[in-house]
Amino acid sequence: MNPALIPEFDRLKARFPADFGSSLVLPCLRRIQEDRGWIAEEDIAGLAAYLGVPRIQIEEVLSFYTQYRRSPVGRWHLEVCRNVSCSMRGSERLLGHLCKKLGVKEGGSTPDGRFTLKTAECLGSCGTAPVMVVNDVYHENMSPEKVDELLGRLD
Amino acid sequence: MPQIFIDGQPFEARTEQTVMQVADENGIYIPRLCWHPQLSIAGNCRICVVQIEGRSWVEISCNMPVSEGLRVLTDTELVRAHRKATMQFLTLNHPVDCGICDKAGECTLQDYHVAYNGEASISHEPKVVATKFYELSSRITLDNERCILCTRCVRFTREVSQSHALGVLDRGDHSVIRPAGGEGARPLEQDAYSDNIIDICPVGALLSRQFLYKERVWYLKATPSVCPGCARGCTIDIWHRRPEWALKSLDPRHNASISRVTPRDNPAVNGPWVCNKARDLAQLLERPRAHAPMTRGREVGLDAALAAARALIGKARHPVALVSSWASNEELQAFKAAFGARFTCFVKADHQPAEDEVVQDGLLIRADKNPNGDTARALFGDAAPTFAPDTDLVLVWGEGADFARLPRGVPVILLGAFLAPENGHAEVFFPLSVMTERRGHYTNFQGITSAFEACFAPAPGVVHAVQVFEKLALREAVTS
Amino acid sequence: MAKDARILMTFPVTATSHRLDEARARGQYTALEKALKTMTPTEIGKEVTASGLQGRGGAAFSAGRKWSVIQLDDGQPHYLCANADEGEPGTFKDRWILENSPHQLIESMVIAAYALQVRHAFVYMRGEFSGPYERLQGALDEAYAAGLVGERILGTDFSCDILIYRGAGSYVCGEASALITSIEGKRGYPRNRPPRLTVKGLYQRPTVINNVETLSNIAWIVNHGSAAFKAIGTPKAPGTRLISISGHIARPGVYEIEYGYSWKRLIYDDCGGMLEGARLKCVIPGGISTKVLTGEEVEGLNLDPAEVEAAGSSMGSGGMVAIAEGTCMVRLLQVLLRFYHHESCGQCTPCREGMGWMHRIIDRIVAGQGRLEDLDRMIQISRLQDGNTICGMGDAAGYAVIGILAKYRHEFEHWIKNGSSMFEGNLECRRSS
Repeated sequence: MNPALIPEFDRLKARFPADFGSSLVLPCLRRIQEDRGWIAEEDIAGLAAYLGVPRIQIEEVLSFYTQYRRSPVGRWHLEVCRNVSCSMRGSERLLGHLCKKLGVKEGGSTPDGRFTLKTAECLGSCGTAPVMVVNDVYHENMSPEKVDELLGRLD
Repeated sequence: MPQIFIDGQPFEARTEQTVMQVADENGIYIPRLCWHPQLSIAGNCRICVVQIEGRSWVEISCNMPVSEGLRVLTDTELVRAHRKATMQFLTLNHPVDCGICDKAGECTLQDYHVAYNGEASISHEPKVVATKFYELSSRITLDNERCILCTRCVRFTREVSQSHALGVLDRGDHSVIRPAGGEGARPLEQDAYSDNIIDICPVGALLSRQFLYKERVWYLKATPSVCPGCARGCTIDIWHRRPEWALKSLDPRHNASISRVTPRDNPAVNGPWVCNKARDLAQLLERPRAHAPMTRGREVGLDAALAAARALIGKARHPVALVSSWASNEELQAFKAAFGARFTCFVKADHQPAEDEVVQDGLLIRADKNPNGDTARALFGDAAPTFAPDTDLVLVWGEGADFARLPRGVPVILLGAFLAPENGHAEVFFPLSVMTERRGHYTNFQGITSAFEACFAPAPGVVHAVQVFEKLALREAVTS
Repeated sequence: MAKDARILMTFPVTATSHRLDEARARGQYTALEKALKTMTPTEIGKEVTASGLQGRGGAAFSAGRKWSVIQLDDGQPHYLCANADEGEPGTFKDRWILENSPHQLIESMVIAAYALQVRHAFVYMRGEFSGPYERLQGALDEAYAAGLVGERILGTDFSCDILIYRGAGSYVCGEASALITSIEGKRGYPRNRPPRLTVKGLYQRPTVINNVETLSNIAWIVNHGSAAFKAIGTPKAPGTRLISISGHIARPGVYEIEYGYSWKRLIYDDCGGMLEGARLKCVIPGGISTKVLTGEEVEGLNLDPAEVEAAGSSMGSGGMVAIAEGTCMVRLLQVLLRFYHHESCGQCTPCREGMGWMHRIIDRIVAGQGRLEDLDRMIQISRLQDGNTICGMGDAAGYAVIGILAKYRHEFEHWIKNGSSMFEGNLECRRSS
């Protein structure tokens, strides 16, 4: 685990009530992932030691919540919502267009490591469907044309 | 003391109880898979549902607090319909492995299927597949397809053994029990209580690797016994072939072997648990046995050996005895009666903690690795063995004596069950029975006495220590 | 009656309207002043109860009644959590508050914390809401700097900290007990009751969990009084409701309506009717866990919880999805069941096994290998889950199945008999011509 994060974690811990040590698992993992891009084995061991929680707790959490990744993703992590309102506004076509354009299957990454394409469940943005998330930022009211334009802007 | 009604019958309850506990105390059976008396309430299996009179729905009883006047019904149409549904859900993806699953015959899911469902599956979907031979440790194999995710094993490692070795990974019907540390990690190897999860697993998901495919449980008998591994004296069941199912074999050892060991519930001593050492008792008790009395390494008949021993004892002026701390209460009394006056007696620790063994912990394991040391010390004192220069006979009973420290040139009478080089060097050697070949009692460090029963007839040639002492003492009684 | 009262969406949204200065200009934090300086916690609790405020997350439980379980003088820590998980598909109305009126939430939370004697309050926000997180955290920073939250608020003895706790991708964490188990740093497993969360909740302490919108009404109620609140909406469902509407609707978005507002007016006037003038086929009223109602049924109803329940559905989470003619309901249900299967936490038997079962059945139907008995089987599974699970998700999937099959069984029978959809498997809005 990146030792530079410890002072940040100490400050975060201080904001919680005293006996809330276990609560830090989720926010610390989020921060570690922001920092490294994914969660590595040494992060699990390091965080378990820092928080004094059993490492199985961290492993359980990592496998339960969909936002954590235990391996790297492409430079641009694309997630297309596949739930009801987005499907009703063309997200299936959007996904098909992306698969074809990037030459990947859903869940896959381009060989050059630039793009990883996944699906997501409802993102709470149904009014601006179809919605795509790119590196945690919502891109709303998407269409195949807008996707092409967006991809063109990404390096 | 609230009064509740179960199926119309009134029962006195305690305020902190649940309906299931009151039912259990009063002989009313409510099925359960995830609930366990020693673990926190999970309430996830949903098979324990009951119906509160007047309500049109069911609720789980394992988490239902009692209240004055509460009226529940355990066997209505609605309850039965929900139990059946729960069984249908549980067997939806459960592999029909009974024919090859060790748990058959003692499987709660099997029993409940017959009792509460009894029909073939109503699903046309292929079953979810998962890992079938996951090596949790060198002792335990996990079959994720059979697992019903009751989480008893996870809660055990969290709450009882506190090894935190197990958890649930992923979600939904892809959830799997997995060990901490990822693929290939085996934290359960360090958990001295790991095998208890095999007992508490209600299905054949967690199985003992040393027992795997060895026996069908209905051929076996469980004989009550006491684990000799330490001074806790956990009560156990030793499982072995029923006499009516004896194997037709030329080797009698096939019908005199321990198939497995499980805990015998004992609220005063070990609760429903034992440590793994009890599970491995066969390794301790089935080491190569001595079968014949010997004098100076030559096999002789029992009478000849007894005569030789009598002669030695008669001559000796300062005999010393090293008393076994694995002896039963009865054997110790017999020894005291026979030799207590004549011999200077010291109690020895037959076994010491092994290098990789837990010495003592806050759960069950005690540092004294002998089952009856306290009783022996109460009879013979707790001084460490010393040999005065005028010692002219040493009687060594049981294992663990340091033969290098015995006085040189002094004759030894040795009594032991197992083959050992020292047996041939003794002046007289008697081959003894082991605890599975006789009945007896051990008293643990808390002063609690437990009985062990005989599982097998004594191996050919062995003698019971009690008989040897009585016979050797006969002459002594005359002169004293 | 005009039925156009507003409590939350009282201002036009601009690039700066969420900021503290503009919020104050709209009167925000006057209620906080009034509450902390002139009212006791008990008085506030009484007002909330008298107002008849109901939960706006989906369960519609009386907020005052929930609060009343908290014993103010029990000497132990109490916790307040705002449920900003907003994972119910079709629902995005709490997001409007988080992004555009965060101070209304913050002010209301501080008042609620005061009323419940809470020292640490949390906003559990779904992990995907990065934008709303930035907005709310920014608003909290402003509020802390202005002494409106934190130590000795507005110079009184009352101190309260609000922390945003971000989720990490799990629909079930919108369920109150799963939410607090998540805040405890664990898997989002719902809990059996008893104990109620107001007795033993976060770290086994008394905890109140309220939806973001529910809480955001508190400041208004304190300012204007419970009677004024009751004068809005209907007698049994006082106040307004944020409705997030999406699907084949011309102007999707978040709208605030008084309870009792005409459903027809909302769809055809406020939202501009259906896309491309298509005909309305049916509506999912309040999140996918509510039973679908046909266009005809909807056009004859008001958005009054009692009327919607009498019609066999529920206003639920306020996540309304309008579905046009030509949409294949089989494929729609497939999307829903895939979602439920994906989100089942796996703890209890009926949901863990049942969701996967129903998903596999509908996949098989869509693949052309369905049997007629599959339909009753799905209903049977739904009924067996209902009320038999640890949390409401088990019931929820069942309502989606039973609701859609009740109204559109013929589409499923068609697919099973013919191996294909009545509408080519279409989910998008086809032009009406």
